[in-house]
Amino acid sequence: MTRLTVTEASATYEAAMRNVRPAGPGVCARCHTFIDPSYAVCLTCSRQANTLDVVTPITYSEHLGQLHTALRNYKDGPVSVQRYAMVRLAAILWRFVATHEPCIARAAGVQRFDVVTSVPSGAPARDEERRNLRTIVGWCEPLGDRFSRVLRSTGSAVGRSYDEHRYVVTDRLDGRSVLLIDDTWASGGHAQSAGHALRRAGANAVALIAIGRHVQPGWRITEDETSGERLAALPRRFDWATCCVH
Amino acid sequence: MFAVRSLMSSRETAAMLALTARRVLPWNRIAGEVEERGGALALLEQLDREAQTRLFDVDDQQLTLDELEDLVHAYEAEGIGLVTVLDDAYPVNLRTVHDRPPLLFVRGALAEDDQRSVAVVGTRSASDRGLRQARSVACDLAAAGYVVVSGLAAGIDTAAHTATLEAGGRTVTVIGTGLRVAFPAENAPLQERLGREAAVLSQFWPAQGPRKWTFPQRNAVMSGFARATVVVEASRTSGARMQARLALEHGRPVFLLRSLLEHDWAQAYERRPGVYVVEEGAEVVDHLERLYAEQLTLAP
Repeated sequence: MTRLTVTEASATYEAAMRNVRPAGPGVCARCHTFIDPSYAVCLTCSRQANTLDVVTPITYSEHLGQLHTALRNYKDGPVSVQRYAMVRLAAILWRFVATHEPCIARAAGVQRFDVVTSVPSGAPARDEERRNLRTIVGWCEPLGDRFSRVLRSTGSAVGRSYDEHRYVVTDRLDGRSVLLIDDTWASGGHAQSAGHALRRAGANAVALIAIGRHVQPGWRITEDETSGERLAALPRRFDWATCCVH
Repeated sequence: MFAVRSLMSSRETAAMLALTARRVLPWNRIAGEVEERGGALALLEQLDREAQTRLFDVDDQQLTLDELEDLVHAYEAEGIGLVTVLDDAYPVNLRTVHDRPPLLFVRGALAEDDQRSVAVVGTRSASDRGLRQARSVACDLAAAGYVVVSGLAAGIDTAAHTATLEAGGRTVTVIGTGLRVAFPAENAPLQERLGREAAVLSQFWPAQGPRKWTFPQRNAVMSGFARATVVVEASRTSGARMQARLALEHGRPVFLLRSLLEHDWAQAYERRPGVYVVEEGAEVVDHLERLYAEQLTLAP
């Protein structure tokens, strides 16, 4: 069996990775997207319930950029190339968690996470067949033995928005802390819906890691600034030693 | 049924040509937008409500969408195939890079094996050592069943193509002009041969001549088409160096021949993740077998 080290594999898309900014002026306090500095949270977050103690995207992911392309290909790309992207994305998650789980736990007010789970992919039938996200979370040694597939899609929700009935939890999670994993945060509707279901099942803390915080470069933050300009102004070298709640 | 399908797809191909001719989107964003919209015609009509009656500038002609559809058939009659991102035949590796071109003009035939492509690139003014290295790397790759891709320029590119042909391997070229143009002119017979025996690819209109901007765009496509890029001999200003940067942006490995380390740029690249310094083609093959292993797993 051929093995690739986490360090080597996680660097594959490094040229397209950008460290996510900590919450603060111009950065949404919840999802870390770029905003007008006169607000604390972005419009989308301000309009939907917050069920998550902390949201930690690993990197910004520019719409139609290389990371966005990889985040799509690992589950919807040609079958022969899915594995290439899956191994690399798993390595990104592994390397990030190995370094930053303590920061995320601290931000969520817990010692460590008892349960690791992932956001289901689409409607129930689709989620059965699309196991790519669950597979890569399972490959991450720092997470694998705590992984449990506790969320199920109900199939009742449409679109991408927050819906309290989008997911159900199969077991009770009373008093347990949950680390929720998703590949991409675009509007956060799915992740927040998952957070709601986990809390309803008794979880006392829910933190989210998303590999990519999706950014639409054409989005106008203010009259004279776009998200793309903010993205372009970030340091080009990805620093694995820091995270947005470091 | 087949007739209807091909009729629909040539309309889509014509719409893709129209999108390219209109230049309302950068060339490297058209493919992504078309895929999101579910079709070229749908995107064209969204961007341009008069698309069905508009005239598009192509090769100094002004053509309607209907005439662009005729043009697709005329190209095919001339031996120039068109493959768009909406076609199953679009190269798999290229499909997975962010700046994939919306369509490719193809002389010859794409093959399933092209997924095992490796680009071998370098300077036009190559030294004897460089030419020897290019030939050796190409032969090692061909012997291991890889398709050797290069840019049909003088120097390293030509050495890589001809050595692969001599070794009985498949070699494909991605050129920096349109398919009706040969640059440099002395490589016209080689271009013709590759079009007959393998494939010549171009993202440019068939009559497009060589320009400063065509070569960097071509390098992006060559990197995307290949699993990896091997740089044999290249100065700081070489297009090969640019292709190394583009390959890293694509998440593809870059191999530098050790002799390149006499250049500052190569010393800086050596420290970047995804870059491997090698002595010979066999080492490239070893790395590729590992990096692209089907049952690849992670180790701490």
